[in-house]
Amino acid sequence: MEQPVLADHPGQLTGRGRRGRLGKALAPYLLSLPAGLWLLALFVVPLVVMLSLTLQTCNSGTGACVMTWHWSEITHQVSLYHSQFLTSFYFAGAATLIDLVVSFPIAYWIAFHGGAWKNFFLLMLLIPFFVSFVIRTVVWEFILSDQGFVLGSLKNAHLLPQNFHVLATGYAVVAGLAYNYLPFTALPLYVAIERIDKTVLDAAYDLYATKREAFLRVILPLTIPGLFAAFLLTFIPALGDYVNQQLLGGTNDTMIGTVIQNSFLTSLDYAGGSALSAVLMAVALIGIFAYARILGSRTIEEYL
Amino acid sequence: MKEQDGPQPQERDPLIDPAIWRGMTQRRLSRREVLRSAGTGAGAAGLAAFLAACGVKGATTNQGAVQPGGVGSASWWDKQKLHHTVNFANWPYYIDVLKGKHPSLDHFTQLTGIKVNYTEPINDNLPFYAKIRPSLQAKQYTGFDLIVMTNNSPPLGYLMDFGWLTPLDQRAMKNFYANAGPLVKNPAWDRGNKYTMAWQSGWTAIGYNKTVIKNPTSVGVLFDKKYAGKVGMMADPQELGSLGLLAIGVEPATSTESDWAKAAKKLQQQKSDGIVRAYYDQDYITHLKNGDTVVSQAWSGDIFQADLNSKYRDLNLLIPAEGGMFWTDNMCIPMYAQNPKDAMAVMDYYYDPQAQAVVEYYNDYVCPVPAAKQVLLNPTGWAKQTLDAMKPSIGLPTSYTANAGTVFPTPQDIKESRPYYQYKSPEELTAWNNLFLPITQGS
Repeated sequence: MEQPVLADHPGQLTGRGRRGRLGKALAPYLLSLPAGLWLLALFVVPLVVMLSLTLQTCNSGTGACVMTWHWSEITHQVSLYHSQFLTSFYFAGAATLIDLVVSFPIAYWIAFHGGAWKNFFLLMLLIPFFVSFVIRTVVWEFILSDQGFVLGSLKNAHLLPQNFHVLATGYAVVAGLAYNYLPFTALPLYVAIERIDKTVLDAAYDLYATKREAFLRVILPLTIPGLFAAFLLTFIPALGDYVNQQLLGGTNDTMIGTVIQNSFLTSLDYAGGSALSAVLMAVALIGIFAYARILGSRTIEEYL
Repeated sequence: MKEQDGPQPQERDPLIDPAIWRGMTQRRLSRREVLRSAGTGAGAAGLAAFLAACGVKGATTNQGAVQPGGVGSASWWDKQKLHHTVNFANWPYYIDVLKGKHPSLDHFTQLTGIKVNYTEPINDNLPFYAKIRPSLQAKQYTGFDLIVMTNNSPPLGYLMDFGWLTPLDQRAMKNFYANAGPLVKNPAWDRGNKYTMAWQSGWTAIGYNKTVIKNPTSVGVLFDKKYAGKVGMMADPQELGSLGLLAIGVEPATSTESDWAKAAKKLQQQKSDGIVRAYYDQDYITHLKNGDTVVSQAWSGDIFQADLNSKYRDLNLLIPAEGGMFWTDNMCIPMYAQNPKDAMAVMDYYYDPQAQAVVEYYNDYVCPVPAAKQVLLNPTGWAKQTLDAMKPSIGLPTSYTANAGTVFPTPQDIKESRPYYQYKSPEELTAWNNLFLPITQGS
């Protein structure tokens, strides 16, 4: 039934109605406002600052930067440091691969055989990582030092040649990366494996699958999204890592993260450091988008 | 959009060290030039202005001579009051230590009632400079009343050049003018000690493990294939490049760009031959101590202190025949300091021979006060008590420090010291860095 519109207050009802509709339409935006502001303040603004710094010319003394649209800075930096980029991809890739191989059995075992102790085992897996990242790496530096209690004793027992060393090699850097990023691989894998309905395994055995076939044709395909999520979560941070190389590496294994850190902190070359960061980020983003296209973005959302 | 230009070049005192030119590592662009290039580049000056505004703000232009009544003038100093507290930022392991305390600082507090918050946040000149610079630009207190900067690195020149140091109260430098040695009085980098007083000096020389290497004499030991993979070099381009120059037999201070290229080639060869284990910052000393390296570029006092803290005492210092690079760390008061008068008191206190004797007994760097030698030989009063208390942990008689060439250099030691190259233009600094930085960042 149509309501009478009072002549004295012609706009009242329609106004309230409009406000209601408007409120409904605005609700999702209002609700996402905190997240949006968060992204704007802590992601978009720094990103724009960084990208704009890439194109500025900076004075290392005053810190004054002026916009010069110096696009060649990007190509200049890449030509100077392309081999450090390649080293980073190579090391981060190797570390991620090691992590996947090491953590798959761990995650599988906890998910399938952990029983009531699942959470305890997960906690055991994570406890070493309650200690700061840098401290853990420095301790490795101490443990693996040439005359330290591990290598030193082996050398004194003549089990190793005197000039053998682990530190200051690329292997040490890869091992450090693999160690430090292990939880980022193990946890998404665990989530993926834990979700598998255990009865599908019984079904596979009922259909005369061997253990090997059941694993390769049932378990592995079901964990692929988890594998990819684990890969991304490990590979991307490892790619930009600048701690492991500095503490464990030597002269010919500088990663791009170290170069970027030195540009900003040691040479105060903000433009150069920004250019390298921008390139690194662009490459990483292209990788993520390619992955999302191939596997669908839902799989990322589910496991991240 | 605010004017983003840095400070303008000004008439310079010809006596001032060329180090001040280090502040100007890029041609400065005028606002008009910026907008013009932005306009052609993007066709949108508005966007350019926005993007430029996202950048980093430049230095304020408050440099220049002391204005009458301005910061650092006599009348300004007269108005300052003691606050009985001072924030002192120094480098790690650079002061006397006894049972976790610093006796010389405690003595200062007893004498003056000024409490010193002594911290060790400076690991490297440029990163520390980058940390305090935003406060200076905003004309705010950096959190430190007293900082220590090295004369061989660009930031000290920057700080003077941009007017970010408080000119010292010359009337409050009684100990300094009575006791400062010729090495640090009226030095080339700060004529008339307008802004700085030296904290300590030292050599960048060579530290080696004497159980492995017997009596080396030259920088050649760092290039010896016998020690391949056991040689530590410094990551700092100034230190690395200067050593490369010594190795090719060139005086760093009078070297030319073609010498630098040759030195860089020599260092590159050293790296590709697998001789260098790594390029280190402060942590070189840890690796030398635990045997990862057997010979390394090293700062003179570090070797002495490392031996103090080790049961083996197997490290030795070599000032090579080619010469040792000599530097001085300088105390200075950053602009906008809250307790400048207290800072002046600390600075002048350390020119008391007794205080320096206590510092050197632990430190073993080059002492700015020659009279401290007599105190170490015949200590009396507070100095005697303190030195005696420190003796068990040092394990050497005070006469050892008094006679050490690394603390009280002989004229011969001074002759073997080499000054660093002073960059005559910003382009030179860039050229130097472009040659030596890529060596340390290999892949």
